[in-house]
Amino acid sequence: MDIIESKTWIEWVITIAKFAFCFVPVLYILLLIPMERRGAGFMQDRQGPNRSYIKIPYFGKIRLFGYVQNMCDGTKLFFKEQFAPSGVNKILFRVAPAIPFAIVFLSPCVIPWFGPMVFEWGGQTVRIAGSIVDSDVGVLLLFGFSSLSAFGAVLAGWASKSKYSFLGALRTSAMTISYEVCLGLSLMGLLLLVGSFNLTDIVYWQEHHVWGIVAQPVAFFCFLIASIAETGRAPFDVAEGEPELVAGYHTEYGAMQFGLFYMGEYSHICINSFLIATLFLGGYSVPFVTTETMQAHMGGSLAVLCGILAFLGLAFLHMIYRYSRKLKATTLSNRFEILREYSLYKIVAWVAVAVFVILGVAAWFFYNPANFVVNGVAVGSLATAIGTALIHLLVLVVKSVFFCWVWIWVRWTLPRFRYDHVMHLGWKIILNIALINLVVTAVIAKLVGGN
Amino acid sequence: MRVIRQRPMNWVERLYIFECLRGLFTTIKHAARGLFRYETLPTISYPEGQPEIRNTYRAKHRLMLRPDGTPRCVACGMCAAACPAHCIFIEATQSDDPRIEKRVMRFDIDHLTCVFCGLCVEACPVDALRMDTKKISFMHRNREDFVAHLDDLVEWDPKDYPDDEQSQVAPGGTKNAEARKVWGMEVK
Amino acid sequence: MVPGDTNLLEALKAVGIETPHVCYHPYLPVSGNCRQCLVEQEGPRGRMLVIACYTPVAPGMKIYTPASSARVKNARKATQEFMLVNHPLDCPICDKAGECTLQENYMEAGQNESRMRPEYGKNYHGNPAHQFIDAKGQLRGGKHVDLGPRVLLDEERCVQCDRCVRFMRSIAGSEQLQLAGRADHTYITTFPGEKLDHEYDLCVTDVCPVGAMTAKYFRFQKRVWLLSHTPTISMDDSLGANIWLDHADGRIYRVMPRCNPVVNRSWLSNTSRLAFQQFDKNRLPAMDVHKPTFGSGKIALVAGGTCTIEDLAALRVLKESLGDRAEIFGGSLLKVGQPDGIAKSGDPVANRAGMKLLGFADVSEFMKRASEFETLVTVNANLFGEDPAAAKALEKINTRIALSPFDDETVKAATIAIGVRHWSEVQGTMVNSLNILQKLNACPVCPDEILWAPYEVVSHMAGAKFETAADAFKKAGEFAPVLSGLTYDAIKSTGKLLEGGEA
Repeated sequence: MDIIESKTWIEWVITIAKFAFCFVPVLYILLLIPMERRGAGFMQDRQGPNRSYIKIPYFGKIRLFGYVQNMCDGTKLFFKEQFAPSGVNKILFRVAPAIPFAIVFLSPCVIPWFGPMVFEWGGQTVRIAGSIVDSDVGVLLLFGFSSLSAFGAVLAGWASKSKYSFLGALRTSAMTISYEVCLGLSLMGLLLLVGSFNLTDIVYWQEHHVWGIVAQPVAFFCFLIASIAETGRAPFDVAEGEPELVAGYHTEYGAMQFGLFYMGEYSHICINSFLIATLFLGGYSVPFVTTETMQAHMGGSLAVLCGILAFLGLAFLHMIYRYSRKLKATTLSNRFEILREYSLYKIVAWVAVAVFVILGVAAWFFYNPANFVVNGVAVGSLATAIGTALIHLLVLVVKSVFFCWVWIWVRWTLPRFRYDHVMHLGWKIILNIALINLVVTAVIAKLVGGN
Repeated sequence: MRVIRQRPMNWVERLYIFECLRGLFTTIKHAARGLFRYETLPTISYPEGQPEIRNTYRAKHRLMLRPDGTPRCVACGMCAAACPAHCIFIEATQSDDPRIEKRVMRFDIDHLTCVFCGLCVEACPVDALRMDTKKISFMHRNREDFVAHLDDLVEWDPKDYPDDEQSQVAPGGTKNAEARKVWGMEVK
Repeated sequence: MVPGDTNLLEALKAVGIETPHVCYHPYLPVSGNCRQCLVEQEGPRGRMLVIACYTPVAPGMKIYTPASSARVKNARKATQEFMLVNHPLDCPICDKAGECTLQENYMEAGQNESRMRPEYGKNYHGNPAHQFIDAKGQLRGGKHVDLGPRVLLDEERCVQCDRCVRFMRSIAGSEQLQLAGRADHTYITTFPGEKLDHEYDLCVTDVCPVGAMTAKYFRFQKRVWLLSHTPTISMDDSLGANIWLDHADGRIYRVMPRCNPVVNRSWLSNTSRLAFQQFDKNRLPAMDVHKPTFGSGKIALVAGGTCTIEDLAALRVLKESLGDRAEIFGGSLLKVGQPDGIAKSGDPVANRAGMKLLGFADVSEFMKRASEFETLVTVNANLFGEDPAAAKALEKINTRIALSPFDDETVKAATIAIGVRHWSEVQGTMVNSLNILQKLNACPVCPDEILWAPYEVVSHMAGAKFETAADAFKKAGEFAPVLSGLTYDAIKSTGKLLEGGEA
């Protein structure tokens, strides 16, 4: 019971609630799939999937800008028959897809989602870390987790009893291992500067010095390329290069087993985006504003946040109105149907804008931590801490979503490398650059910092 | 023979990273267009939005008509001979009209086999076969219905071809009365 | 190198130079009116244009062809152009298109730009039948002049080569067609009030180089380039006229004579030509072939006139499997006529010589001794249909097994009937009245693919089914020494003269 009594109940609530962050990558999958599909469509001057709909009263067919398509596909994958070709190793064949997907829930544990929450509770100062596990070897843990996903590919390729799968698995394992080295080495310079493997410390250092991308631009590029390669996405998707290997290690998979690989790939992107955002883009920290300043003007900060959200809502509304106007002029036979659907979005967006404006105004004028007393307990500092965490979280999400977009962007721009080129790039170029970067950083750090 | 050699890449291009960035810029331009100027995308949402079809588009066939409403086809079989897909089936018979001598009794085009190359139109010596109906969608319940028969192929309205003189000669066209005079026979 | 007693056109053909010609026909007297086959001959007065078809070859001749003389080329081209002046551009509706001599010549010698104006040439505007009033003030011409029961004439297309006139005069021997009028007004006609009606009148559609003479039965039926051709033998006469079966879409559209210089040359009688119209009618369907019980008494195996050597061999095999109680007969009850000297011998039993080779007695002998037999097997032999009165006696025979392609009288009178393939649908051989072994090829027009050929059915009854016609032919060689050692490949398209033949 000591361990329970060592913390107050509010600490326990927040600590347990933090486990919800394990599901962030899964939520990101829901975001990434439509982003990839429609983004790819737009890049190729297509429209992307936009036909599936849910029919509701009055507003008619709700298509959510093509989002319903992904629900349909997910449902299809989920309800499809799970088959295995004859001759496969049944156990490993079933287990393999689960491995990359399990990593999805492990990796978020060490990422700092927000700065340490510090607040007064019952007369004592409570400090709660921003990550689920505030480990001093957080970076190493993350690398370890993401290397594990290669096991899934290797097992799948081996268990499938197919030469395509097997070759795909060989390529995956070789490539993942190669780029793990680059990944680690390119980060060394930054770790040297920060002096810690703890991700929270790294963010804290960036918040109070400069972002990693400024301090270590070369490392950033090496890290970005290596992590794209590590996720096995284009232009490094030689493991599933369809001209040579059908679909690589998941050739023999279908239904939700394939779905797990698919989701594992996307969550891998998500984790790597978080990692880059955390290591090089200041993580949860708001640009140009320190946490302390923000906490001192919490009302204003929340008001600005609400203002930004309201502005985004207005921008969305502008696009909707503009497109509605164009749509009316076309001869599409279903244009009135679409306009009725858009009227729902307009209503929702207007309500959201109104709510954000009201919230922003309220926060600007009426936010005063000293006034927050619930049942005689002063919760003002708790509210400030939660507000800070919220803003931090949003900032981190914005940064990581940008990097997710980079993944998609790169995939639909660059052609696939040949396998020997991939290896050449990894071992002969990026590794060397990372090493030189480390040496130069060490020298400069010694000369400037003196420690 | 002209040999076109690829220009060797200079060192900036060989670095690849700048070329990558250029490529990324190109794609983001297109993505932004899709996002902010959705209506300018060249894709047509097909069943709701119909493509604009030019007069020269090779669509479903039709058989041109004489002023008296009989098909112009003399069943010479040139279209069937020219057809690379072997989808035209013609049977001829003696015409009641002594000037025509030979008339078509069966004219079937299997649109499931047809490749819409237009060679039949080119081959026709009497300008009887055309592909300018602009009917591009073929929807039927069973395979047999995709075979267009004679009565189907002569089923067209001169009003749909206002600029075409030859079409106006057919019954219902603006030049029909005039053409009947030239034709000079009682219309059957 | 060149056969001596021939004309220049044939001599050039023999050395591989084709000369375009319209009026010349190898089996018709030369008339030399088309002037299309012009060549240049080196003579005492220099090089001059002569027509190849009317110039006999002689040693030491010097001839220039279009390959060596521009003058010949131009002369032919000009002739071609003149010929086309009055020829309508009817090719789309012309039945001859695709095998038209004018088309071929145009592609070879003509290829000139048209210098035609509407005001030149014959103008038929205004008259629906394209008729016109000739110099004597008579209305004549037209697109379909009814010459007779089987032939239509298109005067517009006629190029006055007079091949048809020469055919009727010198081959058919009945001068029913004539050239009337003169010069540009020449036209083909019959005598007033007479019709073109002769056993060989459809041959004028063959000899016609253009589409002027058209057969009514084939008019507008099929474009000729869509037809496939099967070389075979007409099995309704013991001369065995060589024919092409022109078929498409699984049916025969027409029968054309196949040139065989010693048998039927280029001619074919109307009977043989139009017989194909009955080939797919009134057919017996395919049925399960089983071995019938032949009873205990004597057995007569009767082969009809259209039986091939293979069928006869199968019957021989059946006879030997049945032992001494079986006897084989061949022939028909129809009367044997006289040869007409063109393409018919008058004997309706096509393979009579083959029957003799394989030891078949004549069917008349069987008719005399009909009461001795208890079982009758007829193969393609319509005894009941040929002579119903005489066949009455056959009804006393208990078991009457009929193998026939048609549902004929014999089949109706039979106790067991088995459908077989018609002779146009089987591969086989026959020996004609000139003792020439000729080859039949199977035309893919069988109404029922599972039908068996007669030799297959008969050999199956005997217990040793011939899998291929070649097997049966090989077996025939065991019975007839003159056939032994021969294979189908050894029989040329014009047949193989057997030893002891007189032709």
